[in-house]
Parts: sequence; C-alpha cells; structure tokens
Amino acid sequence: MDERELIAKVRAGDGAAERALYDAHVDRVYRLAYRLAGDDELAREFTQDTFVRAFERLGSFRGEAKLSTWLHAIATSVALNGLRKAKRFRARETDLDDAAAISGSRRAAEPDLKRRLAQAIDGLPTGYRTVFVMHDVEGFTHEEIGATLGIEAGTSKAQLSRARAKLRATLADFAGEWIS
Amino acid sequence: MTDDRFEQWLPEAARDYHRPPATPREEMWRRIAAQRAARRHRVVVLGPALRWGVGIAAVLALGVAIGRWSVTEPEAGLRALAARGADPASALAYQLAAAQYLTRTEALLTGFRAESRAGEPGPGTQFSTQARDLLATTRLMLDSPAARDVRLKGLLEDLELVLAQIAQLRSSGNREDVQSINQGLEQRSVLLRLRTASPAGPGSVRMQGAL
Repeated sequence: MDERELIAKVRAGDGAAERALYDAHVDRVYRLAYRLAGDDELAREFTQDTFVRAFERLGSFRGEAKLSTWLHAIATSVALNGLRKAKRFRARETDLDDAAAISGSRRAAEPDLKRRLAQAIDGLPTGYRTVFVMHDVEGFTHEEIGATLGIEAGTSKAQLSRARAKLRATLADFAGEWIS
Repeated sequence: MTDDRFEQWLPEAARDYHRPPATPREEMWRRIAAQRAARRHRVVVLGPALRWGVGIAAVLALGVAIGRWSVTEPEAGLRALAARGADPASALAYQLAAAQYLTRTEALLTGFRAESRAGEPGPGTQFSTQARDLLATTRLMLDSPAARDVRLKGLLEDLELVLAQIAQLRSSGNREDVQSINQGLEQRSVLLRLRTASPAGPGSVRMQGAL
C-alpha cells in the first residue's frame, strides 16, 4: 500500500491503516525523541503525543512534504516544548561554559571522554543540539532537517558547524583521544 | 588536533549519546489508543451539543406526552396540567432513558464476557461500535439528574471506563486487553451492580443464565 493510499484509509477511520502508519514510523520517531530527551519515560510520552496529534491533524496534511518529515516536525516540536517543561532534564543540563571549565582539570580514559561528550552535547544551545543530534547522531540530511524544523538547509549546515566548533572547544583537553 | 580528524571522530563517538533502547511499540500503541479514545469521547460529548440537545428534548417530549396521556381529568386546564405533570414527567422520561441504557449496557457486557470466556479469538470488533454508542450515552447520563444518586453515579463512572476500554479494542482482540477488561468487571462487581440498578423485566431476565 503506498503512502497516499494509507493516509486516505487513516482519514476514513480505518484502524488497521492507523496501526500500519504507526508501525512504519514509530521507530524513527521514538529514536529521535529518545536522543533529544535522554530519558525513556519522556521519549515514550513524546512519541505518544506525536502520534495522537498526527492522527488528529492528518486531515490537514496536504502532502506537500513527505509524511515522515511531517511526523518528525511534530515530534521535534513536541519534544522541544516538552523538554522546556521537564525539570528532570533541566537538572541534568550542564552549561557549556561550566563543562569547558571542568575540561581543564585532567585527561581521562575513553569512557570519561564519552561522558564528557554527552555533557557537552547536553550543554549546546537547543537549536545547535537539535541539528547536531539529527544530523550527526541520527543521520538526517540537511534538507530533511530544514523541512522538519522549518529552516533553510543552509541554516542547518551553519548550526551544525557552530555546534561542532563548540564541542571541539569544550573537548579540547581530550584532543589526543581523537587524533590517535 | 585537526578539524578533519575531529569531525571524523565526532559522529562515531556521538552514536552513544542517549542511545535508545528497543522501541516499546505495543505499550505505546495501547497508550495512544487509550488517549485517542478519551479525546474522541470528550469530543462526542462536548462537540455536537445540539445533537444531544435534540435527544434530550425528544426524551422529555416523550415524558410530557406520557404525562398528558396519564391525566384522567379531561377538563383540567393547562395550569393544573403543569402543576401536576411537569416534574413527574421529566422524572419519568429520565427513568425510561436510564432503564433503556442500563438494559443495553447489561446485554453488551454480558455478551462480551460470555464470548471472551468462550475463547473467541477477537471478541472486540462486534462490541466496540456498540460500546462507543453507549459510552456517549454514559456521559450524557453522568451529566443528567440521574447522577445525583451516588450509587448510580459510581456505577456510571465504572461503566464509562469499561466501555471506553471495549471501544478501543482492535479487530485482533488482544487477549491481554480483554483479560484486563474482564478483571475490571470482576473486581468492581460491575455486572452485579448493573443488574441491581436495572429495572426487572424481559431485558434483564433474558440475560440471566448467560454467565
């Protein structure tokens, strides 16, 4: 069944088509939500909200973008709004400057570098972090990111470049790790 | 350090960033279905208020007609008719609506339980449409004077939950969902309370022995 046919069936209230649509897209939506949230409970909540909203609004989907792009746009909007409200995430969020200050303390083994990298990514400004997670972690193209976030592909590239520059500065103390 | 080396290293290292576990598909799907059913339910109750208004008016008109029909003094004036008939007519209308609703709900739940006990593969499909209809009526009942009775209100709230669960059942008739509904029916003694609340009559009598 092609996507257009599937959408038509969902709009007509076909339960099996709803499930087929969910099955086709849930993995990527959940992965994206989890990467952004870093918390299973929040990721589930965001994924569920995404599909509830998508099913409610499918009538307004005009097919100008791919359905997956439309779903990812809902998912990122739900996740980013949800994260702003989630105190748990705020508590874990590390300010990038703080992370940079800590980085000067001592060099450490690979696991510590990964932990520090995670802290540094958490500390990126939201826009940079979203683009970085989508591109470098989840493998979205700049065109897909642009369509999802409602920005130009060039803006996505610029934000990714700035995100990488900030991470490189934050992790400068570990330069030997990636050079080797 | 070089930019190239860093940019080669970074995506590789970042794969572990918030690495997601396996997608909990079924659990999330169940929650999505429940959330959607709850929303649809609210829309049904709040959205087409006019449709329900017409329904209520029809029931009240029936009650008023019965009230007029039961007046034995043909010469009684309009004032006397209003004084004697208005409130009892409304009460009678509500009683009629409640009796019909309780009988239909009892029949649905009894049938549902009997089929699921008989090991039917998907008892959900044929019941979900009826459950959706009754769910809307349940909300109407909860908003009506019938819900002033504390016992009846408690029963209606339990029925609302059970009917929402049945309305969400998919054609595959997930056994765990069916089991959960039946457990709810047992634990809250829903059918027993429903039969106690239902008026005696052919509807109730017909279902006896089905369990």
